[in-house]
Formats: sequence, structure tokens, C-alpha cells
Amino acid sequence: MGGELRYEIGQTAYIKLVLHALKHKTAAVNGVLLGRLSDGDAVEIADAVPLFHSHLGLLPPLEIALLQIEEYYGAQGMAIVGYFHANERFNDFELSNVARNIGDHVHRYFPQAALLLLDSKKLEALPKGKDRSPVMQLYTKDSSKSWKQVGSDGSSRFSIKEPSANIVLLDYISTQKMQDMVDFDDHLDDISKDWLNPELGK
Amino acid sequence: MVSKTEEAQVNRLENQVDNGGGGAWEYLCLVRKLKLRRSDKVLKHGLSILNEPSKRSSLGHEEWTLYEQVAIAAMDCQCLDVAKGCITVLQKKFPDSKRVGRLEAMLLEAKGSWSEAKKAYSSLLEDNALDQVIHKRRAAMEKAQGNLSGAIECLNKYLEIFMADHDAWRELAEIYVSLQMYKQAAFCYEELILCQPTNPLCHLAYADVLYTVGGLENLQAAKKYYASVIDLTGGMNTRALFGICLCTSAIGQLTKGRNKEEKESLGLQSLAATALEKDYKQRAPSKLSLLSSTLRSLKLS
Repeated sequence: MGGELRYEIGQTAYIKLVLHALKHKTAAVNGVLLGRLSDGDAVEIADAVPLFHSHLGLLPPLEIALLQIEEYYGAQGMAIVGYFHANERFNDFELSNVARNIGDHVHRYFPQAALLLLDSKKLEALPKGKDRSPVMQLYTKDSSKSWKQVGSDGSSRFSIKEPSANIVLLDYISTQKMQDMVDFDDHLDDISKDWLNPELGK
Repeated sequence: MVSKTEEAQVNRLENQVDNGGGGAWEYLCLVRKLKLRRSDKVLKHGLSILNEPSKRSSLGHEEWTLYEQVAIAAMDCQCLDVAKGCITVLQKKFPDSKRVGRLEAMLLEAKGSWSEAKKAYSSLLEDNALDQVIHKRRAAMEKAQGNLSGAIECLNKYLEIFMADHDAWRELAEIYVSLQMYKQAAFCYEELILCQPTNPLCHLAYADVLYTVGGLENLQAAKKYYASVIDLTGGMNTRALFGICLCTSAIGQLTKGRNKEEKESLGLQSLAATALEKDYKQRAPSKLSLLSSTLRSLKLS
């Protein structure tokens, strides 16, 4: 499962996830990845919905979020293809139990599911270099039924669709665009806030 | 935990100050009072006052409180030079002060000099064993180093002495939730509800934990606590309304065939569903159809 599959994340999805993490620097945050399997050899992550920035381990808000998200994106031919997690601490690269459990749940319905972990060191170094690769680590569940990191050997199995995405990201960061990010937590506190973040779409 | 009105007030002030409309001191006092963590704003606006001699002197003796607040914000933003600057000013004004000593130890923490910070806190505690801030810094240091079980141990010891500290109970509960130790988290929220029985946020968190643990008894209890949140907030809490629907649905699944249970719970669920639909229609019309299908799937499952 997920043997030689490539994973490609679209710019919109990528930026939404990183901006969400930057909006809540002192907390762990998470989100879901939406997309599809394309031509049987790649997982296309076309969009993302930022979920929560507090109490990530509680079920009720997660269940409501997933119901609404599946309904909305299902109508567009997309499924939940993965999960994103950013740890609370800067140099924490461990997959927490919460991340694994939610990842497992997504994997049950989409065996090629991608588990993305924010790489804060890479993110911090972004302005200093010309790195085009995503500031995230990719994990997939292999046949041994555990989450293993993919592409850490420098292979290009995980990439951003648009090559200039990191430049756009840095631009958004400098204009404090993360303050506009709405996650599901914000929606539940004020339903007039839209978790689709339409103004960040193409 | 701040209420919605308090948060709106702070945000309004923050916007005002950000856009040059003045009110920086008012904003800083409010952030301090509500114990919010908005370090980048505090640093920016605090420094704008401290760096202007006329603004600084107009504060009178509150000037030193501001130095302390800015020092802590600077440490949080890793602007250690600014922090050192503020602490030096305070050291000159209050030599041999324990409160300034605490700030010096916090600076060691910010630098990542954990063992030195630990030593500094221990020696400060020798003279004042009941300093709550220092006790909690020790728990914070464990957490910062990723030692969650150490943080839990520190907090538990702390709460044996200072059992009325809401913030500590809440922090402990959140650490338990992040480790999926829900039963222990539930205990913390029970203590919080005892301390603050009219705070709906405690009831809500407790209900969420009970639902997450699951099982018929917990689901029924969760439903009661969601109901009390609705009671305490006059029906204005979206999370609690959803909670009722989730609980009813989950209880229904567990008690299939027991007619009495189903009839009792349907009334409350349909009230909650109606309230949600009314609210979404008014404030989030684009999401109304999504809401309706979500509620439909909860009624059927």
C-alpha cells in the first residue's frame, strides 16, 4: 500500500496548512487533506481544511467537522486523502498518538493516506534559501502497518504542484495573511466564519 | 479561559492600537488582566511606550510593571536582548528583589539553560516556598523540554497544595487530553466545575471528554453537561447544540430496541437541531444545506 506512489500537494492546500500553523504558533494544530488518486500512480492533494488549535484529542468537534467536510467535498468528487499535524514545540518531530489515531482513521477509508507533519526547522530556514520542497514531512502507512517517513532520502516522491509555492507563502507571511485563516474551531465559536477560506483559493 | 465578550473587547482594542488609534496602555493592562498570550503585540506596543521618555514617565510607578510585562513578552518572542535590557532596568531599580530574580531565572529558561534555570528557581524557593509562579515555571520547563510526564508530576504536586488554582487544573487537563489520558482529564474538569460551577466552558470541556471516552453512562452524562452549557449560555453555544445531537445519536446506537430511551432523547435532539438550523440560516446560510445533511446523518445513525 502506497509503495511507489507519488504525493503532490497543490499550492492552495499547502499555504492554508502552513498559515494556519503560523497563526497559532504556541499551539499544536491539525487539518485534513482533500483530493483524489490520479491515474493510479499519484495522490493529488487538491485542498485542505484547517481543523483545530486546541483540544486536538477530543472527538465531538472532530466528528462534526469530518461530517461536514466529507459532505462538501464528496459532492465535488474529492475524498479525505490525508491528515496534517503541527506539533506545539519547535523541535518536536514525533508523531503524537493523536496524529497517529486520526491518521489511522483516514487510512481505513483511504489506504494511500498521507500524514503530513510540519517541519518547523525547514519553515524557519525558508527565507534564507531557495528551497522549493514542502516544509513538511510525509508519512504513509506501509505493509508493516506503521507510519513511516517517505522521501527523507532526498527522493522526489513528495512535492508541491506549483514550483513557486514557497515564494507565494513567504509573501503571504510578510503581509500577515495568517490572521485571516479560519479553522473549524473558529467556525464553531462563530458560525459566520467560513472554514472553506474562499479568499485563499485560486 | 476568557468569555466571548472579553475576547471581543481585547480584539477591538488590539485593532485600534494596531491601526494607530491609541489605547496601547489600556490594551496592555487588559492583556495582563486576562492573562492572554499575545507576546508579539505586547512586545511591539509595550516597547513603543517604554522607548518614549514622555510616555514612560506618564505611567508613574506602573512603569516597572510594564518593564516586567515586556520582558516576559520579549522572552516569548525570543528577543532575548530586549528582555535582558528590561531586566537590567528593573535590577537597577529593585536590587535584591525576588520578583526580578524570577525574571532572571525565566531568561535562563528562554535561553534553554534548563539546569541553571532549575537551580535559580530552587534557590528562590528556599526563601519563599509558596511562590506559585515559580512552582508553575518548573512544570512549564518540563513541558518545554517535551517531558510531559514530568510536567504532569509537577502540576499534580502543585495542585495538592494549591488546589484552587483554576489555570493549573486547566493546563493539567489539556496535557492529559493531548496524551489521550481522558479519565484523568475528566477528573481535572470535575475539579474545575466544583470551583467554577457557573462557567459554561468547564461544563463543555467535561462533556467533550465524556463523549470521547464513550460508553452509555458517559454519553448520558455528557448529554446532561451539554444541556447545562445550553442553560448557562441561553442556548447560544453551537458546540453544545452539536454535542446534544452527537450524544443522542450515539446513545441511540447503543440502545437500539429500547424504545423508552429513544422517545425521551428525540425531543431534546430535535430542539437542538432546530436551534442550529435557525442559527445557520441567519448567520451562515451558505453552510445550511451541509448542516442539514449532517443532522440527517446523525438522526439516522
